Amino acid sequence: MGEAGWGVNEYGATGRTAPGGVAPDTVDRDGRSDGPAGRGTGAGTRAVPRHVACVMDGNGRWAQRRSLPRTAGHRAAEATVIEIIETARSAGVEWLTLYAFSTENWNRPGAEVDYLMRLVRRVVRKHAPLLLARGIRCRFLGATDPRIPRELARDFDDLTTLTDGNRGMTLTVAFDHGGRRDIVEAARSLIRNGTPAGEVTEHLFAQHLPFPDTPDVDLAIRTSGEQRISNFMLWKVAYAEWTFPEVLWPDFRAPDFLACLRTYRCRDRRFGSLPTRTNGDPR
Amino acid sequence: MTTDTSRTDTERPDDEPPLFGPGSQFHAFFDDPRWALAIIRATVLEAAHPQIGAALADNSTFVAHPWRRLRNTLLSMRRMYSGDPAVREREAARLNRLHARMSGTDSRGRPYDAMDRATRAWVVATLFESAVTMCRLSGQPLEQDTMERMYAEYRAYLAALDGDAGELPRRLQDFWGYFDRVVEDELENTEAARIILYRLFDHLPAPALLDGAPTVWAAGRAVAGPLFGAITVASLPEAYRRRAGLPEMPGAQTVMRGAYLAAGLARFLPEGWLDAENLIELLTRSPAADDPAAGTMTALRGRMKRASALLRLITPPGGTPGPDPEPGSDHEGRRPAREFFRQVLDQTGDGHLDWPDLAAMARELSTRLDLEEPEETRLYDAFAAWWRELQEALDTDGDGRVSADEYAAAVPSLAGPALIRVAEVLFDAADADGNGTIDADEYRALFRTAFHRDLDTGDGTYGRSAFVGDFVSFMSARRTSTPYDPLFTDA
Repeated sequence: MGEAGWGVNEYGATGRTAPGGVAPDTVDRDGRSDGPAGRGTGAGTRAVPRHVACVMDGNGRWAQRRSLPRTAGHRAAEATVIEIIETARSAGVEWLTLYAFSTENWNRPGAEVDYLMRLVRRVVRKHAPLLLARGIRCRFLGATDPRIPRELARDFDDLTTLTDGNRGMTLTVAFDHGGRRDIVEAARSLIRNGTPAGEVTEHLFAQHLPFPDTPDVDLAIRTSGEQRISNFMLWKVAYAEWTFPEVLWPDFRAPDFLACLRTYRCRDRRFGSLPTRTNGDPR
Repeated sequence: MTTDTSRTDTERPDDEPPLFGPGSQFHAFFDDPRWALAIIRATVLEAAHPQIGAALADNSTFVAHPWRRLRNTLLSMRRMYSGDPAVREREAARLNRLHARMSGTDSRGRPYDAMDRATRAWVVATLFESAVTMCRLSGQPLEQDTMERMYAEYRAYLAALDGDAGELPRRLQDFWGYFDRVVEDELENTEAARIILYRLFDHLPAPALLDGAPTVWAAGRAVAGPLFGAITVASLPEAYRRRAGLPEMPGAQTVMRGAYLAAGLARFLPEGWLDAENLIELLTRSPAADDPAAGTMTALRGRMKRASALLRLITPPGGTPGPDPEPGSDHEGRRPAREFFRQVLDQTGDGHLDWPDLAAMARELSTRLDLEEPEETRLYDAFAAWWRELQEALDTDGDGRVSADEYAAAVPSLAGPALIRVAEVLFDAADADGNGTIDADEYRALFRTAFHRDLDTGDGTYGRSAFVGDFVSFMSARRTSTPYDPLFTDA
């Protein structure tokens, strides 16, 4: 429901962000009234990033520094998650993606994985009414592995259904996500459809990725000072600006997030000096 | 068989209003909520007749697919009471063909035949008597001449089906003697009647609209199911209750009268508030249907789904993890063998796959496509050939039918030549204009939904090989499929 008008084509046609210049004020396509403050004004600064992605790193180290079990770090991450969602929403970010669990994370000790699953379930259930009330549309990227407990998968589905009609910020939780796997899936989908090789363009390819309506990542934040991509949304981060704050995820707070947004707005995005639009859309 | 309606009640003077059409008593009751109670009661009285009971137990899909059955019945009655004689004749011919395919022997070895004239007269008699009784029980008894006129209508209904109404007494005053005699002498405590009274209401599957809220449906059903059963029992003739040994529950008579009375009060509602046809369409329509009401429907369903999702999320999580999914399922949209058996193959809901199950599929398809001869026979023949193929492959214990265990154990590859033949015959039947493709209208007739093809074929039609491929993969590989699922699985 409501997917009409959110597609890639429509996105490509909004004609935003001339590189180096001042972005035209992005039209709130869904008529949201609480327009972002101070977006895209003033020479030398850019608009608030449309799509922000966070790699939530450093929970384990946070716990170790306090001589706590690693699980305590995950629990402490919950507060940050909620705070960042709220901050992003009020700052005018339209798409927020949180990297919660990668396909590689299954290799962690079984007890920690089990704990994470229970924790995520509790967080999802606890905050479902809040997310609904805030008008946040939630969805889960990945989340296909049969090792995900059935109750958790059910809660994911329920939260997706529940908030499907929301037109505020779209929150994508990358859970059991792998960037390469998404690309392989898109290739499979193209082959299944019998698309001739000559017709495959970047634009068409992007349409076969999961959630094709999601725009490219504008700003990616990886906490804890690590500077790796770690197989995260490989296609969509192609032109992302990255920031690597030193702070660990459980300590990452609203001011840190806003600082990242400021950094982004001061950067001169050149797209390799080629004014390419997002999602492989030809200019 | 004859469908000559010109012979119906020839003694009726010309200046009276026609027996059929919008002016009839039947039409006056159609949107009456009491009619729902009366129809249930009539169905129990029908099922209590040994011949009808056996036919129902063997052939009917009302346990597994009650809402579909109800919809088809209402549509059929609408057509039979249509003002247009051509529509009536067509429907009568269709009903006769449908019933001609139902015969066999009951569990005690007595033969039954759905074309038996006396039996068919009893069906019409129960409908008439239940309509009269519903008015009596709700405190608005019918006037004598209204009653006589209604009796004439029901006799005309029988005559439209059977050629004449000779099996029902000509005059109303003789009818009551006939009715009491059948109740006293012929009715039994049949299996089918017990199923309706005690099993159907307790296991009534959710209609399509409430499919997303199984807990809400189950909770409501747990209260309403036994109540409906008790109300129906209390409204049955005393003579039958005694004979069948039905329990007398204290207060049931009062509750029953209260229910009829309350339902009767609906006559004070503004005109147009209650419309049985809209209601049943609302309940049975599948989500993707694209006619005008579907927008409302989709919104309504969306809200239902969201409400039940919220309900599940805010209720405390269950501590015990549910059972693991059956090993037969994988992640490419296949469903477990047992689930497919229950939802698709076992149309009569008796736990076995038998000819009546496949006949019910053929019946549903020919109803949807509104088939006439010889297409209808071709479709039945194709299903019969498929049944023989299935029986040969799956009936390992040789009892002539296939149990869920036999089906699950074989984890069968069912795509034999006979199944492909079924798909081809169905394609030809659905392709009404014979141009070799199923276009949007033909698609809607079959699936009751709009045609949405993927990106790869852009011409908006459905070709023969694609149709056959999809049908066979749905039937043999148990693949879940948006259009095919509601075709056979809708309750």
